[in-house]
Amino acid sequence: MAVGTRILSVEDDERIRTAVKLALEDEGWSVEEADTGEEALNSFQRQPADVVLIDIMLPGIDGFDVCRAIRRASDVPIVMVTARADTHDVVAGLEAGADDYLTKPFAPKELSARIRALLRRARATDATATHLRFGELEIIPDEGVVRRGGEEIHLTKTEFRLLVELASSPGRVFSREVLLERVWGYGYFGDGRLVDVHVRRLRTKVEADPANPRHVVTVRGLGYKLQA
Amino acid sequence: MRRFLPRLGLRARITIAFAVGALFMSAVLAGATIGLTRRNLLDQRESAATAQTYANAQNVRNQLESDVTDPLGVVSSLVTPTGSNPVLLLEGTWYPLNAEFSGDSLPPDLSELVQSGQPARMRFRYNDETELAVGVPLESVNGAYFEIVSLDELESTLESISISLLAAALITTLAGAALGWWAARRVLRPLVGIREAAHSLATGRLDTRVEASADADLAPLADSFNDMAAALEERIQRDARFASNVSHELRSPLMTLSASIEVLENQRDDMSDRAKAALDLMVADIDRFRQLVEDLLEISRFDAGVMHLDLEEVHLAELIMQAVSTSTDADVPVDIDADLAGVVVKADKRRLVRVIANLLDNAAKYGDGATRVQLRKDGDNVLIAVEDNGPGVPDEDRESIFYRFNRGSLAGRRLDVDGVGLGLALVAEHVRLHGGSVWVEDRADGGKGSRFVIELPAEAP
Repeated sequence: MAVGTRILSVEDDERIRTAVKLALEDEGWSVEEADTGEEALNSFQRQPADVVLIDIMLPGIDGFDVCRAIRRASDVPIVMVTARADTHDVVAGLEAGADDYLTKPFAPKELSARIRALLRRARATDATATHLRFGELEIIPDEGVVRRGGEEIHLTKTEFRLLVELASSPGRVFSREVLLERVWGYGYFGDGRLVDVHVRRLRTKVEADPANPRHVVTVRGLGYKLQA
Repeated sequence: MRRFLPRLGLRARITIAFAVGALFMSAVLAGATIGLTRRNLLDQRESAATAQTYANAQNVRNQLESDVTDPLGVVSSLVTPTGSNPVLLLEGTWYPLNAEFSGDSLPPDLSELVQSGQPARMRFRYNDETELAVGVPLESVNGAYFEIVSLDELESTLESISISLLAAALITTLAGAALGWWAARRVLRPLVGIREAAHSLATGRLDTRVEASADADLAPLADSFNDMAAALEERIQRDARFASNVSHELRSPLMTLSASIEVLENQRDDMSDRAKAALDLMVADIDRFRQLVEDLLEISRFDAGVMHLDLEEVHLAELIMQAVSTSTDADVPVDIDADLAGVVVKADKRRLVRVIANLLDNAAKYGDGATRVQLRKDGDNVLIAVEDNGPGVPDEDRESIFYRFNRGSLAGRRLDVDGVGLGLALVAEHVRLHGGSVWVEDRADGGKGSRFVIELPAEAP
């Protein structure tokens, strides 16, 4: 499935960049390289990649800025590479628009698995659920379209899959573990902050008042649910 | 003083010094008071008795010069106060007014001296009482006149004064001791603050400082203490930064190695057996290297004090089941208290999983595999225990096994084991950060293996 899928790898360390390219190519991806943030943005402008891999610690324009710039132009899946899992870098990167993260050093096979999960299409739940409605919110999974009050809202692929997952059982509470597994392909040990930050991002787009969400609701200690 | 009282503290020594000083001063004062009072009272009494005796002797002589037929009558006619007993010697015969005090009662020395024509007085003990005898020779009638005056009343007065002074001395001593204790306490109070600060530093709160003192005597102490604390903090943070920087720098080459080795692994089928063997060694050691760098980074964050927990509500039973199911001992029995099946604690999920994984890993490497994982309630705490089938941990290693790079004296002999010795140290740090504790004990069922126990507050911080 991955043949022809282009990954833009942004990394300033040449040896790492080369080794990662070799390993990813072995996995069947085609890899485009960039060693600075500027070059990454130029490359993306010339020909948008299908997935972007960004090292947060870049000289010049840093990884967060690259992430934000690409996110403004595209809903392409972005995986960021951070030094540590327990720093604020993770949350900052996710808020800048990244879909997932890995910590250095990672195994390229793990990266491939992450990319495959992000490239999955939103599941059309069943035949009757092709058109879902929650108050002024309207979701059409097969077309990848979300409207609020008739006006189309732009979601990233991951935000969209999260919304469709919640919409598959309206009113049901999804734990963070379940969402991590269904949306990101993680098991129990995924990072719950992925869910929290994506829910936050989703609210800013689908809620009239993101601070007092009506549709994407937190159920304390249990998880999240979608309601009309 | 130090040699005789080597174990006494400064406060006790100051208290004792004050008490001894007060005792000495009050003893001197009391002694001087009693001495002076006694002399004054005795002098008074003796001169009064002497004057009275002379007056009576004059009277007796006058009467006897005109009539010697009734000496006893003369004696009885004298006016003497209570406690004063006249005795008359006339022509070798004693005429006492009171039969109890006759010529035999008098001290012979005094008696002889007076009879030889010399007036005299003398204090003496008679019938267990102190008496004063005053004698005046009556040469014109060939006799002598004596009076024996009791000083016992005076003695009892002096005795009650002594008791009062003794009591006063006692009270003064106690007051001195109390003053000493208070003064010592006051002097030592700034040191209490420094002691507490030192204790706080020792327990790892490196930013502890003592309050700057306005007192000219104490300010240098507080200042040098704070300088020391700052230097210590700087030093420890530099070491922690160094470890952190080194680990960080190691991540880049490790990243290249991890990616490159995967490329090589993809070619494994085309390799000779020798190349495969070499590749497998590299794969295993790159993995170990990565684990070591991870662990070092994690532990250096503890040392730098920058570790923070991402607390969330964690379903403990589920977390344990998940941690066990992904470990090498996935089929080990998990024994969970029925009423803890739904228990939720505030914890950092990622780290708690790591703690349990490290204990299982430890059991696999050094304990011939885990035999049981337990979740128990103990008062307000929950206990997570991992038991193994290994040789157990000797008593002397039960604390040091949680030190860094320490695998215990037994583990040192197991050369096939590929641990790096940071796993249990990380367990201890993580558990401590969660407000809990960890220890190793004998297996609950009396088997030969060991039992690692984590105690967490059910309401974690």
